[in-house]
Amino acid sequence: MSDMDKIKYNLLLVGGSSSNLALAHRLIALAKASGQQLSIAILEKGREFGSHIVSGAVSNPHVIKKLFPDYMENGFPIEGVCTESFFSVMGAYKKWDAPRNLMPAEFKKEGYLILTLSNVIGWMANRLKEEVKDIPNVTIDFFPGFSAHEVIYDGSRVMGVRVSHTENPMDDYIYADVTVFGDKGFLSQDVLKNFDLRKNAQLWSVGVKELWEIPQDLSNKVWHTMGYPVLDGTFGGGFVYGMKNNRLTIGLILSLDSPNPDINPQQRLQDFKKHPWIQSLIQEGRLIKYGAALLPEGGYYSLPEKFAVDGAIIVGDALGTLNQRTLSGVDMAMECGYQAAEVLIEAFRDGDYSQAKLNQFQKRLNNTFVIKDLYESRYFRQAFNENPRLLNSYLPTVAKAVDDGNPMVGMLKVGLSNPFRAPFDGLRVLSLFSGTKDIGPVRYKKCHEHIQPDFQAPAMQNGQPFNKDTIYSREDAVFYANTRYHEGNMHIDEFEATTCMRCISRYSDQGKLPPCVNDCTAEVHRVDEIDNVRKHGMSLENCIQCRTCEIVCPEENLRVNPTAQGSGPDFAGL
Amino acid sequence: MSGSLNILVLIKQVPDTSSKAGLNPDGTIDRAKAKRMLNPFDRFALQAALHSKKVTNGKVTALSMGPPPAVEILLEAIEHGVDKGFLLSDRRLAASDTLATAYALHKVIQHLGPFDLIFTGLQTTDGDTAQVGPQIAERLNLPQVTYCEDFSIEGGKLHARRIVEGGHQTVVSEFPALVTVANAYHHLEYKTIRGARLVQELQRNEELKAQYIQTITLDDVGADPELCGLKGSPTIVAHTDKVGQIGGRCVMHQGKSIEMLVNEIAAGTNIKEFVRQ
Repeated sequence: MSDMDKIKYNLLLVGGSSSNLALAHRLIALAKASGQQLSIAILEKGREFGSHIVSGAVSNPHVIKKLFPDYMENGFPIEGVCTESFFSVMGAYKKWDAPRNLMPAEFKKEGYLILTLSNVIGWMANRLKEEVKDIPNVTIDFFPGFSAHEVIYDGSRVMGVRVSHTENPMDDYIYADVTVFGDKGFLSQDVLKNFDLRKNAQLWSVGVKELWEIPQDLSNKVWHTMGYPVLDGTFGGGFVYGMKNNRLTIGLILSLDSPNPDINPQQRLQDFKKHPWIQSLIQEGRLIKYGAALLPEGGYYSLPEKFAVDGAIIVGDALGTLNQRTLSGVDMAMECGYQAAEVLIEAFRDGDYSQAKLNQFQKRLNNTFVIKDLYESRYFRQAFNENPRLLNSYLPTVAKAVDDGNPMVGMLKVGLSNPFRAPFDGLRVLSLFSGTKDIGPVRYKKCHEHIQPDFQAPAMQNGQPFNKDTIYSREDAVFYANTRYHEGNMHIDEFEATTCMRCISRYSDQGKLPPCVNDCTAEVHRVDEIDNVRKHGMSLENCIQCRTCEIVCPEENLRVNPTAQGSGPDFAGL
Repeated sequence: MSGSLNILVLIKQVPDTSSKAGLNPDGTIDRAKAKRMLNPFDRFALQAALHSKKVTNGKVTALSMGPPPAVEILLEAIEHGVDKGFLLSDRRLAASDTLATAYALHKVIQHLGPFDLIFTGLQTTDGDTAQVGPQIAERLNLPQVTYCEDFSIEGGKLHARRIVEGGHQTVVSEFPALVTVANAYHHLEYKTIRGARLVQELQRNEELKAQYIQTITLDDVGADPELCGLKGSPTIVAHTDKVGQIGGRCVMHQGKSIEMLVNEIAAGTNIKEFVRQ
């Protein structure tokens, strides 16, 4: 193959993510100033930029302000600016808003932007198209509906990616001087594995979210909740964001390093909605959209050893910069893009794409709030991991007390029934949360290693009256994710059929279904009984590409690949 | 395997069926207001042309007739692998019926040709006549294979399977020939990254774009304006009737559980007494 016929760019951005688009925005501004010649390609597996993006999102505007100083006037899509934020403990019947002075600082979101990230991504892509028109030395090719399927290596150097499998191989590969991975792990996990960069496991949570149109105006109000319906020891909580035009975001984030093999995020979200408080909000409302996505939550100790290799940089969720304690991911990812751009402009100037050059990015990022905040929050998950009592004993006690009408008594009860443990636990947790106590590096088990097939979840209190028309089955929810797949789509690999059969029979012995079936957010996985043999089956046309099955598969026998042809859900506006 | 074929595909831009196209007072479609798309039937013709290109190592030219925005579908065709596009665009073509359209297009084909194989879609979604393809074949005095659902190119000949009432018919034709491709043919393959890249380059570079897409007029091809447009169209639309408002009183109950559906439908109609709770 001659070089002439190769599809080649200076910079290839894998994924239309907030990190990659921020990177492009910053980089072309730098190239405009320096006159550096640049050709850039951006791959996005969704039909449009933003159609595979799900996020809360309430975001600190500091990085957006840095990227787009005129963001309040230039059409940057904002759903509102938070004026009132609450941290609430949920019983099965009542809700208790923690008084302001007891509220953890991380949950005070006043002044933060409420965003529909899919819209933000669409806007950023359009803005890039406009910006680049005024920069003759830079070209950007946008490829929505094209995803990277495979990383191309030459020895220890990343050369580019494979995009398609046509009969003409020269049309299938995109080569680049530098490839930046800003995906959610679909492909970047191969780079991390190939160079053995992530020594500690990544922890993942799954977020499920519904967008509602409601009769009342709750704009600019933000609630974060703990307690019901997450009282089984799983780490997680809910969020309710009021947005403009009478819309409401209702979501739940559930950590996948749970002992419970039946988290069932979509149905758990329905339980959340059965709570009388949420019922009071969505009565007479209308479900507009549903979606789900993973969140990388390992934080500081799940970061790769290096953030770059020869010919490639890893940013955003691929890197794992989300800060779970402060619930911030968007600004972290954008800052990654901003800093990577500063490194890349020099790399292109010098024609040096070595790891030594590109990994200046790590050094730069270490000096920003991104890594500093992650370092401060480094024991956040460990605090819960080392002490399951927090979630499976103390939290249910407080939630029960909320229902009984006095949450303070609940807290007292926690103290009295565990006179030696609780105060000690409390102090230790506080010092771990704030990172003031140093206990050295921590190691995480992979999420699926936490799952216990014989786990007995406490009975969910579901006696509340609720309007059935506000509650959706998993099958019905899929409709609201607007999935559309091309003929012949086969994007989830099952490596060994017999492995699945073994896993199914192990869970059958407990009278249960395997985690892939239980925890699927979109009715993809199922158990088929064929000739008295129980086998794993999939309805791939339902998939909303959250990748939960891959993370919870006890046998690591599943892999969710990026789809082709823009197939999948359409989360625009979610 | 035959020698390289010179292939032509005729495509048309039509109002997007998913958008609510406005109507002019005289009942014709207000094309300026409607969103636009490639005629869905033409996607099969495009696939047939690209397949023929692949198996014969040939070249595909796409030809369209319409107002200037129709360039969009020529760009779309290039994304899928078409080599060159021509747009016949001339004010004097306005309000052409099938007779005038076929006349104008056959003049273009004579001007651009000769072609070994000409593909058209079965019909368009805006006119629905299925007449233009066959008329062009007659004017060019070419053998025509209509309702073609599959074909192969063997020994320098076209072996085609046509849909006929109650079954199918296999015909063999010499080149050149005109084929109208049925929507039972293979779906159009996804655009290629090379094609998508080229189109973005064309949109940045007018000079390069001119090498790939040319807009031509009636004068360029020596067509008689008297035989085009309204003047050349004997068809008279005497009168159109609206058979109901788009949208109307139709309510879609989607994405709900069966129980929710039953309750919703029962609440909105007088069938409540028939619903067992």
